[in-house]
Amino acid sequence: MPDRYGIETKKLNIGYKSDLIKDIDLAARPGEIVTLIGPNGCGKTTLLKTITGELKKRGGVIFLDGKDKDAHKPSEIARKMSIVMTYRVKPQLMTCREVVEMGRYPYTGRLGIPSDKDLEKVRQAMEWTDVSEIGDVFFSDISDGQRQRVLLARAICQEPKILVLDEPTSFLDIRHKIDILERVRSFAREEKVAVVMSLHELGIARNISDRVVALGQGRVMKIGTPGEVFTEEFIRELYNLEDMSLELLGEMPWLK
Amino acid sequence: MMIMNRKRCALFFSIMAALIAMLLWGNIALGSNSIPASDIPAIIMGKGSGTMERNIIMSIRLPRAVSAIFLGGALALAGYLLQTFFGNPIVGPFVLGISSGAKLFVAMAMIFTLSMGRIMGTELMVLSAFAGAMLVMCFVLAVSVKIRSMSVLVVCGIMAGYICAAVTDLVVTFADDSNIVNLHNWSMGSLSGINWEMIHVIIVIVTVCLAMTTILLKPMNAYRLGEAYARSVGVNIRLLRVMLIFISSLLTACVTAFAGPISFVGIAVPHLVRNLLRSDSAHVMIPASFLGGALTTLFCDLVARCVFAPTEVSISSVTAVFLVPVVIYMMIHRSSRDS
Repeated sequence: MPDRYGIETKKLNIGYKSDLIKDIDLAARPGEIVTLIGPNGCGKTTLLKTITGELKKRGGVIFLDGKDKDAHKPSEIARKMSIVMTYRVKPQLMTCREVVEMGRYPYTGRLGIPSDKDLEKVRQAMEWTDVSEIGDVFFSDISDGQRQRVLLARAICQEPKILVLDEPTSFLDIRHKIDILERVRSFAREEKVAVVMSLHELGIARNISDRVVALGQGRVMKIGTPGEVFTEEFIRELYNLEDMSLELLGEMPWLK
Repeated sequence: MMIMNRKRCALFFSIMAALIAMLLWGNIALGSNSIPASDIPAIIMGKGSGTMERNIIMSIRLPRAVSAIFLGGALALAGYLLQTFFGNPIVGPFVLGISSGAKLFVAMAMIFTLSMGRIMGTELMVLSAFAGAMLVMCFVLAVSVKIRSMSVLVVCGIMAGYICAAVTDLVVTFADDSNIVNLHNWSMGSLSGINWEMIHVIIVIVTVCLAMTTILLKPMNAYRLGEAYARSVGVNIRLLRVMLIFISSLLTACVTAFAGPISFVGIAVPHLVRNLLRSDSAHVMIPASFLGGALTTLFCDLVARCVFAPTEVSISSVTAVFLVPVVIYMMIHRSSRDS
């Protein structure tokens, strides 16, 4: 396995009660951003949940940092991979700093008391995502945009080698979409973290990704660079737009 | 996790400790036969006058106060664990019918052993209460897996509680008259009749449960953000859930076996202390719930004994009067915030 690891799947089969998609081979190397696109229900979330372990895989192998995921202890996985999921969490009376501190879970002792080093990591992560000022505010009292930044800080201070994000931009307005993805990108590049995420916004996906995985019609329809995937012909096929006018989308310079 | 508001916590715990000490004093001194508070230390130490006073304190009031502390703490702790498990502040051992399940099994075991001409041992009491608690717990869990709605869950728990109460009534109705007298006090919820032997068992069970919850502090905190995030940082979700269910059932069973069902402490006390502390961190909530439960139960038992003295009312009537308004306020507050 070349390119100094990151995350890789080999002949991965995913699904709930039956196989939804078979034989998925994808890889995200350190510092790379791989984006999953495709219509609703195509299996983006299912694939991400299988990678994170929320769903059992139905076959194949997942490699984390060059080692079979099944050969890891849960605490080892936690030190390698962190997540930002799309579902809304509403913990009561939990401050933003407490939420971020949870990212240090794999590193703290039996009682979960953070050390000075843990607190420093938390502080850095909160600075990075610009949430230091709301550290003492309850997580349930902040805006969706802030919430997503706090969850990103949580994922960052877990010091992952692999970061998985499931539609990190849902619920967000355009300003916060750009903001959060900008931070994800700089985190990936600077800390050499492999990022796998799903996105609905095709324009952003095209510009942020090193590689794009297009899921649809029960299979991996295409894996390639943004230039290879984002052609009008293929996007029409992927999203089943063959007989539709794309007029409402407006100017789409990448759809020639 | 870090406790944000250390000052608030320190203040909370010192006030709690002071109030418990005061109430403990009051529970020993007050009653149909008042004992001057200043005499109490001497009497407990075995010096001073009057064997009658010493008898009243040592075999009635002190065991009763000690059991109020441990059983009340156990109930509130069980409530907090269940609230963590279900991710919902409006659940508790009584509301979910767990207390009633335990009560049914204890009643049946009690009548069975009495009809055999024997008196039930404490082990059998706790075991049968635990079996009943687990039975209702399994039913509630089965419902919660099928239906995700929290209101349905609570309604199912209340219904299960009613069924258990109905069967208990039926069993009691057809039991021999002499047995009923024993059963009646207990089945309404009462701390009378707890002796030192029982207290030893109570202390062992509650201490073991408290020790087990210290292992759960860390995963419980992570669990507040939901299952997916907790798993992603390495929490063994299945083990955590089994432990939460096991410990809360054991605590509830312990309370019900010795004091009968005591209502609303488990649901209202964690809510009250949570809002006083402005934190839901397990590190403060576990000791705070325990102390809060102890305090509430001491107070309610004192009221139950003294307000209509010499007649005693059941402790559940008192807890209901004081705590149901809290629960109602909670539900209104919560639904207005969610909408």
